[in-house]
Amino acid sequence: MIAWTGKKTVEGVTYAADILFLSYLAFKELLSPARRGRHEALRGIARQILFTGVDALPIVAAIALMLGLIVIIQAGIALPQVGAGAFLANIVVVALVRELGPLLTAFIVVGRSGTAMCTELGNMKVGQEVAALEAMGISVVRFLVMPRMVGAIVAITCLTVFFDLVAVIGGFLVAKVTLTIPFLVYLGEIEQALSIADVVITVVKSALFGLTIAVICCHHGLAVVGSSTEVPQQNSRAMLNTVAACLVVDIIVSVGFYV
Amino acid sequence: MSEAVIELDHVSASEGILEHVEDFSLTVHRGEAVALVGSNRSGKGLALKLCAGLGEPSAGSVRVLGVDPVSASAEAVLQLRRRVGVVFAKPALVSNMSVYDNVALPLRYHAALTEAALHGRVMACLAECGVDLFHDHFPGGLAMGDARLAALARALVVEPDILIVDEVLFGLDADELIRFRGLLGKYRREKGLTIVVSINAPTALFTLMDRLALMRDGRLVALCPPAEAARVDDPMVRDFFGNN
Repeated sequence: MIAWTGKKTVEGVTYAADILFLSYLAFKELLSPARRGRHEALRGIARQILFTGVDALPIVAAIALMLGLIVIIQAGIALPQVGAGAFLANIVVVALVRELGPLLTAFIVVGRSGTAMCTELGNMKVGQEVAALEAMGISVVRFLVMPRMVGAIVAITCLTVFFDLVAVIGGFLVAKVTLTIPFLVYLGEIEQALSIADVVITVVKSALFGLTIAVICCHHGLAVVGSSTEVPQQNSRAMLNTVAACLVVDIIVSVGFYV
Repeated sequence: MSEAVIELDHVSASEGILEHVEDFSLTVHRGEAVALVGSNRSGKGLALKLCAGLGEPSAGSVRVLGVDPVSASAEAVLQLRRRVGVVFAKPALVSNMSVYDNVALPLRYHAALTEAALHGRVMACLAECGVDLFHDHFPGGLAMGDARLAALARALVVEPDILIVDEVLFGLDADELIRFRGLLGKYRREKGLTIVVSINAPTALFTLMDRLALMRDGRLVALCPPAEAARVDDPMVRDFFGNN
């Protein structure tokens, strides 16, 4: 038992070190002054933003609208019953903007783009494409990991802002069917409840989620050795580890800023 | 004798449980064409990787263009990679890029060319390899032979000093093999390209080679000109050339 615990601990620490090291290498490539391959890197970033951000807008809008509706209806009905009807905006800001918005957006991105990144890189490993890049003297981190990381950070940050807007405003407009509070009053209360710090922390959190998702999924994709059967295995590991890592990041940021 | 560009000195290495080389020595000189010949799992694939400076030996030493890829600095290894073109057994073209972008990729990373100059060079190389018609296709839509010719174009476009081709016959039909052979011969003749290939069956390509390195079980059985290879007294060689 002790040996098993020790082995798992060492594996966990090694895994975390690998992820941090890959993040470091990706940031190093991002800040590298080398001009060569910039065109390809920019193209990779644009492609990642398009796939992770723009293409995900409809599904994010739908989920945000439904979640906003649920939270606002539940809070709008339950809070007046305990004499706390005036706190609807505060609940919406705390639940949707601070927590559910960034976290659910991250989970959508994990399911859509994280798995795609892992599968794509895994298949590239199997097809010797990664070996060919190395043989050509092209940095795999610069060509494959860094653009995905930057693209995911930009896309998920924008998606989270979009999610929050749709959930807070769209959710209310739909919930208005059962609620009596006027829209402008609601907006005024949201404005009062929402601080600049909330917006900044949400953006920071989203950026960290983007970094976490991209680096972990790329790590697992590149961990495929040579068989196509490894791709789905690495994919499911990437999914679970990314969701767990996002929750850890969320706790760290929330405790760090709000406690 | 011209300078040695690849020097493998008593090298041992392994990859997985099936592929290994034992006490393997080979020196290839500039402009020479050498084929590593043997059946599957004879170790020729790994030996070829070592010739490209890609593998890491467990014993012995490797020098490619005067650089020891294991102990050299990252910059020296990068410079080495730019001078060695590698064509893998699988075409290994980047699947989400067109054939044109695949061939342009090493130039975009390693050459300071304007987009117009790059376009001219890439299209000329694609035309030379006979795959210019597919320049806007993605690798997934190509036949294996065309994909391998596109991979050859990607390796040649940077005008390397050494060309390494793994399983040179794989996926090529008769016409494509003739084209492949013609290209290797032309680059060797006109640009002094050093060529090292691996081959797992007797082929007309042998006539292009200066020497054959016959391999069995990770070891070098014989190193001789193609004309003498069939006379080597070894059971594997006899089987290989159908002399049994």
